[in-house]
Amino acid sequence: MRSASPDRLDAMFAALADPTRRSIMERLAARGELSVGDIAEPFRISAPAISRHLQVLERAGLIERRTERQWRLVRMRREALKPVESWLTRQHRHWSDALDRLEALAAADTPKRRKS
Amino acid sequence: MNDRVLELERLIPAPPERLFAYWTEPDLLVKWFGPEGFDIPSHRLDVRPGGRWSTTMRAPDGKLRTVSGIYNTVDPPRRLVFTWGWDDDSGVRGHETEVTVTFEPTPGGTRLKLVQQVFQGKEVRDLHNGGWAGSFNKLQRVAASS
Repeated sequence: MRSASPDRLDAMFAALADPTRRSIMERLAARGELSVGDIAEPFRISAPAISRHLQVLERAGLIERRTERQWRLVRMRREALKPVESWLTRQHRHWSDALDRLEALAAADTPKRRKS
Repeated sequence: MNDRVLELERLIPAPPERLFAYWTEPDLLVKWFGPEGFDIPSHRLDVRPGGRWSTTMRAPDGKLRTVSGIYNTVDPPRRLVFTWGWDDDSGVRGHETEVTVTFEPTPGGTRLKLVQQVFQGKEVRDLHNGGWAGSFNKLQRVAASS
């Protein structure tokens, strides 16, 4: 595994110093993956402001984004922070890894429907 | 946010019926049920209310670990509830939690929700022993290095 450079750590801590961004990360940590709309929902700030927060988190290597059909999805990068291993952490990793695999398998054997 | 409950959610582009099969048919379950790099050399699934299940997983270093439980609810293709307990190193089954999986149809596929509860005080304390301040605790759970 690559170790984080000091620059990378600075970017990470700077990203997490902001309460809105911390709150976004907490929700991603708890929920796994959210759409951009779900992320914006509890905050009274504009869509461009949310977009800027997501950009800061992405540059710090804390989140990754993808597009799936009509959804713009955001998830936490699990390798971003090295955790203190605990029973609960391992249990969480079990499910998150397994669901990643389930998602890939189930999507691959479902025929894509085209939008009419 | 409750530290004694684990919640995960995924939007998956496959119908609930298909996903439910991945949870309940042994041939499909062994393809994904475990952390990256693990395989499942033996398993048993008696998928009906009151039926027992168990899977033995092999870690990349060859170490075997068994997790098992009982199905409480089997409601295809919407809901699956089962108990969950790991064997410890001496083969004794440890603290039991309950896992609820729901499959909610969405226009593009399925919203899959997984809730696991209730973790013991000891497990939750383990999580806090890292010395991280409150906000970062939840972060740690998914920050597992690969």
